[in-house]
Amino acid sequence: MAHKRREMLIDPLVDNNPITLQVLGICSALAVTSSLQVAFVMSIAVTLVTAFSSMFISMIRNQIPSSIRIIVQMVIIASLVILVDQMLKAFAFEISKTLSVFVGLIITNCIVMGRAEAFAMKNGPIDSFIDGIGNGLGYGLILMLVGVIRELFGSGSLFGVTILETVNNGGWYVPNGLLLLPPSAFFIIGLIIWAFRSWKTDQVEEREYKIQTVEAH
Amino acid sequence: MGLRNFFDRIEPHFEKGGKWERLFPLYEMVESFLYTPKTVTTVAPHARSYIDMKRIMTYVVLATIPCILMALYNTGYQTNMAIAEMGASGWRASIVEALGIGFDANNVAANMFHGLLYFLPIYIVTLVAGGVFEVVFATVRRHEVNEGFLVSSMLYALIVPASTPLWQVALGIIFGVVIGKEVFGGTGKNFLNPALTGRAFLYFAYPAQLSGDAVWIPVDGFTGATALAVSASEGFQALAGHGMSWWNSFYGFIPGSMGETSTLACLLGLVFLLATKIANYRMVVGCLGGMIAFSLLLNWIGSDTNPMFAMPWYWHLVTGGFAFGLVFMVTEPVSGSHTNMGRYFYGALIGFMVVMIRVINPAFPEGMMLAILFGNVFAPLIDYFVVQANIKRRAKRHG
Amino acid sequence: MADHDQTPTEPQGFIRRFLALPTDSVPKTLFVAISLCLVASMIVSAAAVALRPLQEVNALKDKQINILQVAGIYDPSKDVVESFAAFEPHVLELKTGDFTDKFDAASFDDRAAAADPATSEALSDDPAGIGRLGDYVTVYLLRDANGDIDKLILPIHGYGLWSTLYGFIALEEDGNDIFGLQFYEQAETPGLGAEVDNPRWKALWNGKKLRDENGDLQISVTKTAPAAGSEYHIDALAGATLTTVGVHNLVRFWMGEAGYKPFLDNLKAGNI
Repeated sequence: MAHKRREMLIDPLVDNNPITLQVLGICSALAVTSSLQVAFVMSIAVTLVTAFSSMFISMIRNQIPSSIRIIVQMVIIASLVILVDQMLKAFAFEISKTLSVFVGLIITNCIVMGRAEAFAMKNGPIDSFIDGIGNGLGYGLILMLVGVIRELFGSGSLFGVTILETVNNGGWYVPNGLLLLPPSAFFIIGLIIWAFRSWKTDQVEEREYKIQTVEAH
Repeated sequence: MGLRNFFDRIEPHFEKGGKWERLFPLYEMVESFLYTPKTVTTVAPHARSYIDMKRIMTYVVLATIPCILMALYNTGYQTNMAIAEMGASGWRASIVEALGIGFDANNVAANMFHGLLYFLPIYIVTLVAGGVFEVVFATVRRHEVNEGFLVSSMLYALIVPASTPLWQVALGIIFGVVIGKEVFGGTGKNFLNPALTGRAFLYFAYPAQLSGDAVWIPVDGFTGATALAVSASEGFQALAGHGMSWWNSFYGFIPGSMGETSTLACLLGLVFLLATKIANYRMVVGCLGGMIAFSLLLNWIGSDTNPMFAMPWYWHLVTGGFAFGLVFMVTEPVSGSHTNMGRYFYGALIGFMVVMIRVINPAFPEGMMLAILFGNVFAPLIDYFVVQANIKRRAKRHG
Repeated sequence: MADHDQTPTEPQGFIRRFLALPTDSVPKTLFVAISLCLVASMIVSAAAVALRPLQEVNALKDKQINILQVAGIYDPSKDVVESFAAFEPHVLELKTGDFTDKFDAASFDDRAAAADPATSEALSDDPAGIGRLGDYVTVYLLRDANGDIDKLILPIHGYGLWSTLYGFIALEEDGNDIFGLQFYEQAETPGLGAEVDNPRWKALWNGKKLRDENGDLQISVTKTAPAAGSEYHIDALAGATLTTVGVHNLVRFWMGEAGYKPFLDNLKAGNI
């Protein structure tokens, strides 16, 4: 049992990563990764929300009528997100200012909803909680990877600490402005997926078609 | 035919089972650069044509020659004019001085030479940086190095400003080759124009070096706004005050990216491409039509606050990258629509978007690059609708 | 919960009876929906109410830090509220250029007042792109040891390329020399327009003058210095034409006739 739970926790990091394999939660991965600090707080927030919402939903899963199943999940997720938002505003005001609406948008993060529907509705509360933590961490891992690339090459710093002195501040590094724009995360996530699938070839999807080759010689 | 024999002798080493099997793309590249490819279809049921990929690409490069010449001349001309005002500095100026050529803006040869000193480094860096990645991908992915890269690199070098730092030139073409083409499987499978993808990357990554007023003429501290930037802030009527008459813009004696300023040179290329049937006239017609129709509509609507609304279509034609994009990018067969009906729509969409971005979007004075990339993305969808409409019509006819 | 009060005879049985219903039946569905909403709303509103005071303190502190920064006296090691006590907030009536006692300066909300038709007016000539101009704004005075005015902190805002920029401009006691400028809220293009936050660019403002000897407003933020001379000119942000135009317009608007001119005139005449 313990072994299985450890797997639940580790599996979503690489082998079943919510972003690179399930391709969920891309929207917020684009929006909040231009600075590492914000990405870090976002990762923690999503991990907590996923874990607790999965746990609560799992606790009442046998009582939820299937006709209002999605709405019930949404209400629980939304309440937790509002809680997180209020907490951030009260205890981490600076960060909540930079995260702005994106905290609220955790509600629409497909990972939370996806794990609730796919896992928590069929498994016990503790397993669901662990699964939520694992998926949150898998999400966070990619967010941090993207965040490191974007902040380092986009602003020349990591966690706000200057690593590459930029030209505007009298240094030598010309920051890459594209990386500060959300679409750049698309390229980076794409490249990460490419790297993951070159490493773990079993993640490569089957071709939907076959290219016919004819020997021309 | 000593060389031919040499190739024939070493070829087995590169074929399947040979000791340098992995390097076949490299061998093929050199061999087919020098000789006609052997892999031309010769028997039924394939359609046979004298045109192979190599010939298409060579023709496109030939078509850019007027633009290259104008790029050399105009870059040198604009630079020499600025030097007359600001004084000369930098290694290029030292070479010009050492050779005793001088900075006379009225001397055609001096202008050409000075322009060459700007164009050549950019072109060489483009070839080397992009070429290395092209070959790496070809070797790992076991496909052939394609002549298409010669076209992409030439077009790319022509659409960057002369003052672009060389390391940025290299980054841009690498991005264009890798993300714009190779990750999708190489030439023929790219849904975006690689040269434009590279430029778009630079445009968003290093806007300070790729846009604004200070980048078009490579003399420190000298600002020369492009015709479109002037029109956006003061209206196209003000262009004359900046020394930009319509004919000047048509010939290409205005600031801009190196190869795109001369509408005349682009049109010469267009005539050649249309005559050899490399370019499909439907895309050109669609694009011109879309641009003219939408700018006439905006002229008619009018605006008190935005002077760009009043810009007539013949000014849109000669300013910015419209002509160059129309001739060499819109007509690119791979990333455009593939159905004849779709080609009209594809062209019209680009023509419409250029005017839309130039006139209505406050952040971007120029719109050709973004409009073509936008068109590229929509090309498959346009084809899909054309095919569906065809199926429906036939079903009705035979139904 | 309300449910308990209505059925005092069987306190546990009521809920049990619902839980025992088939999961997909109508009463069960209603029961789950209603009770979930009740629980969720209670938790959420409890959190909101309990945390409100903390959040308000944070928002206020954030604003105060910005004012301290623009005045150049922000020291992260010191208590913000304590440092901020050096400032003297006043509600200013823009038209007359006089302070007013109609509102409590500590709690006056500039933005709410500017949105309220009773205390604002729609602008017909609106170069800063703000739509409505409030009749009253909160300004801050910083006095030196002798009780004389040392600096004026004036709130300004206006439209850039993508967003409204909110900030403060700090003037020296003569109301003409600029000490500093700071925007605390903006969403301009990262790397271009957002460089309004760049300390090196902000430093350019220090020491510039608003008006020349004739009292004409000369301050400008443009690419090339105008004829008036460099002491009235701040270099444009590289590559951010429209944000620059926005800043240029908003500073000139707020320093002009519709903005703080009456107040600055009063100050010069010694009426403040």
